[in-house]
Amino acid sequence: MSTGMTSEPMLEVTQLRAGYLDTTVIRDLDLAVQPGEAAVLIGPNGHGKTTLLRAISGLIAPTSGRVVLGGQDVTGRPADRIAALGLVHVPQGDGLFGEMTVEENLMMGAFPASSWRDRRAALARIYEHFPAVAERASQRARTLSGGERRLVALGRALMRPSQLMLIDEPSLGLAPVAIDAVYDAISELKRSGATLVLVEENFTHVGSVADAVHVIEAGTIIASGPYSELSTDPAIVQTYLGSL
Amino acid sequence: MIATNIVGIAVTTIILGSIYGLVAIGMTLIYGTLRILDMSQGSMVMAGSFIGWGILVVAGWNPILAILAAFIATFILGALTQLVSVQPLMRRRTAIDFEMVTFITTFAVAMVLTNVALEIFGPFQRNVKSVVSGSISVYQGVDLPYQSLTMALVSIALMAGLGIFLARSRWGMAIRAVAQDLDAARLMGVPVGKLYPLTMGLASALAGIAGVFLGGLYFAYPQAGDLPLLEALIVVIFGGLGSLPGTVYAAYAIGLIQATAEVIVGTTWSLPILYGVILLVLIVRPYGLLGRPSEARL
Repeated sequence: MSTGMTSEPMLEVTQLRAGYLDTTVIRDLDLAVQPGEAAVLIGPNGHGKTTLLRAISGLIAPTSGRVVLGGQDVTGRPADRIAALGLVHVPQGDGLFGEMTVEENLMMGAFPASSWRDRRAALARIYEHFPAVAERASQRARTLSGGERRLVALGRALMRPSQLMLIDEPSLGLAPVAIDAVYDAISELKRSGATLVLVEENFTHVGSVADAVHVIEAGTIIASGPYSELSTDPAIVQTYLGSL
Repeated sequence: MIATNIVGIAVTTIILGSIYGLVAIGMTLIYGTLRILDMSQGSMVMAGSFIGWGILVVAGWNPILAILAAFIATFILGALTQLVSVQPLMRRRTAIDFEMVTFITTFAVAMVLTNVALEIFGPFQRNVKSVVSGSISVYQGVDLPYQSLTMALVSIALMAGLGIFLARSRWGMAIRAVAQDLDAARLMGVPVGKLYPLTMGLASALAGIAGVFLGGLYFAYPQAGDLPLLEALIVVIFGGLGSLPGTVYAAYAIGLIQATAEVIVGTTWSLPILYGVILLVLIVRPYGLLGRPSEARL
């Protein structure tokens, strides 16, 4: 794999438009994420962060523009095909299968044929990594606490090799202790070389992982830059409170 | 006398419950996965009866071959029914009353299939040879035909097999995943465009096998699926829409009520009593025995 600024982006979104029925939520949005980079999308609720992730992973079809994943144009492809190319998306609300056990949820993370063969080894790896998840292996997902659910969702995301991982608001609705556990796991992911796109409402929790920060407002990116720069820009910090 | 009655009720309950369960469990599988009431399931029973007639009577071949042929043919028919009457509406399912529209489109397929059968086979009732002949005496005065015994055993084996398939296998788990969270299942890489026709094919194949046996008890004719469809609808709603265990309980509960009423007050009153009980239970529990209002299913 090539390194440095000259390499091809892992994710390249060009002039993207997407939305629901008659409503356009994402407008002419451009975004590039380099291999190994952790990009954080910040912005107020209802301005298109989740919609952007859904358009990238194919849950909704963009109305125009392009999404290129690892050099392949995936615009408008169904979500299951994009997933098979190595995109992992941890959706808002975790997307766990409530009536299934934790272990069954994890196994679904390895559904594509190539990773299904190795599901036992992957399971063992996740259990070693997240002992709290291993303890709940045979419990139904709907009986878990919010923090446990988030860890299971992250564990499930690690059940197959990925090129790019999208994580929608990993801190949403969690107690501070649980948020620390979740961000510890994300930091470790980043250290292992994963390419990440995180969505958060503010700067509060992302300091330990963020390389680049992109501010989304009204469906487009209004400011981008290294974390160190944007997190000290008084105008932006004032708008996106999240005390540092 | 009392012992004979009890044994008689038990035997009838197991036979009725098993065949009700086999026809209804496919409807539950489809409802749990696709959120549609598949009105073409009766036609699959009818198609299975005709396949049984064709292979057992016309060709004079082996019963196992009849069951296999019914499974394969109705699997294909069910998958095609999904592609013709449901798949074209999938993209717009949030913008329309999906459940009601597919209720009608699958009913339309059922009507077409009934009339195709009428065109090909005519309005006659065809005698389907029993898969197995003879009977065994279970108790004084209680005879159990081997046909009914085999039907019950095959039904129970198929329902158990379906349960294991859903619990353990990769595609079975994918069906449950789609039933519980469609978007999350797609993100896992589950190809829902293929999974839906497979699910409807599988459900239809179970109804098709039921048809081979029911054809032996009654007849093969174009409307042979009408009563099984009605009974299956009652079972799935009584059990709680989308609940597989609920469907199995409901099938045997209905078998028990019907068998008890038949033995105690005779066949004339058994159906009014059965539907009276169903009416009462549904008034008390509108979501059925194990149903839950708008929650994840399967």
